[in-house]
Amino acid sequence: MEKIKTFIHRLFIPHEENNFRAKSLHTDFLTVYLIIAFLMMILFKQGNIHNVLGFATDISVDKLYQLTNEERQKNNLPPLSLNSALSLAAQRKAENMLTENYWSHYSPDGKTPWDFISGAGYKYEYAGENLAKNFLFSSGVVDAWMNSTTHRGNILKKEYTEVGYAIVNGTLNGEQTTLVVQEFGKPMASAFTPSEIQASETIQNIPAIPKAKYTAPVQPKINALSFSFNLNVIFMVFLIMVLILDFYFASKFNIIRIGGKNTAHLLFIIFILIGLFMSTIGTII
Amino acid sequence: MVKHLYSNLKREFKNHLFDYLFLITAGIFFLILLNIFRGERIIEFIILISFAFFYIVWGIYHHIIDETLHLKTVIEYILIAFIIIFLLKIIILP
Repeated sequence: MEKIKTFIHRLFIPHEENNFRAKSLHTDFLTVYLIIAFLMMILFKQGNIHNVLGFATDISVDKLYQLTNEERQKNNLPPLSLNSALSLAAQRKAENMLTENYWSHYSPDGKTPWDFISGAGYKYEYAGENLAKNFLFSSGVVDAWMNSTTHRGNILKKEYTEVGYAIVNGTLNGEQTTLVVQEFGKPMASAFTPSEIQASETIQNIPAIPKAKYTAPVQPKINALSFSFNLNVIFMVFLIMVLILDFYFASKFNIIRIGGKNTAHLLFIIFILIGLFMSTIGTII
Repeated sequence: MVKHLYSNLKREFKNHLFDYLFLITAGIFFLILLNIFRGERIIEFIILISFAFFYIVWGIYHHIIDETLHLKTVIEYILIAFIIIFLLKIIILP
């Protein structure tokens, strides 16, 4: 027990035994961190966590579907079933956005979301669409949608019974991005005759394809990213904590020593952390 | 502890006001550039590398002014900058 105490003391508190600087901030320890970070980088590269465009994202259809239904269940709504025709419509919509280079519900040549849904053979009574881009995680996408009144309205619309997703990587307006398309629908009952067709609530019908036949579109398969992201954040928080402790004790005991400025290291890491979180913020429409 | 930390941080910033303002300005500039080029991963990577190199140069400059420059200090700045680059490269960079 005493050994552990001494070890922790040496690791975090500057005193004569660690040359008046927390051992975890010594250059040998920093070199070990650097080697670990470098090995992790190689390992994750080898593990193919990056997609073909060379940037990482951890968005999956399964997770989006699960989170969407969780939100519906929280609001006492029945879960949506996954429909392959809607997923096909979503896939075509995403590819069309990349091909024609636009970020909108409507294409420059006038194609509407309903055209893609009908084009995939889904005849609907109600239909809707949510779009997102530049997110790193599925939870970020669903959270952003839930924080927007119109997107939330789509997710929690009681009329919808089915949903389809597409996650497509590409270059949009010169920006490498991951597009997420979510198409909602309620298949038209065979006897139903539409009296009025509106922009966001239209009509038609196709038998829903059973969920068992559904195959998810090709997508980045990168569950390791969440792990890596959390690990990195934990490590940076650890560094911040060590720097604060070292700074606190060094100033408390009036220690003058040769070494880098903890305040500068702290500022640098804090700016990097803010930048990291900024890059995880995507856009929805 | 917080009070003690605050007063020491304040003293440190006060003693090297120009240096820290310079670093903070560069940091804000780094965040603005990241925001402008969000999604363009190669440019994001270049911005990060530039900020990391600026940080190393800032460290050397600061310790020259402070008359505390030592090889160990320079190595410390380089190590911290590269640890961060490698870590971020795993997550967001090409």
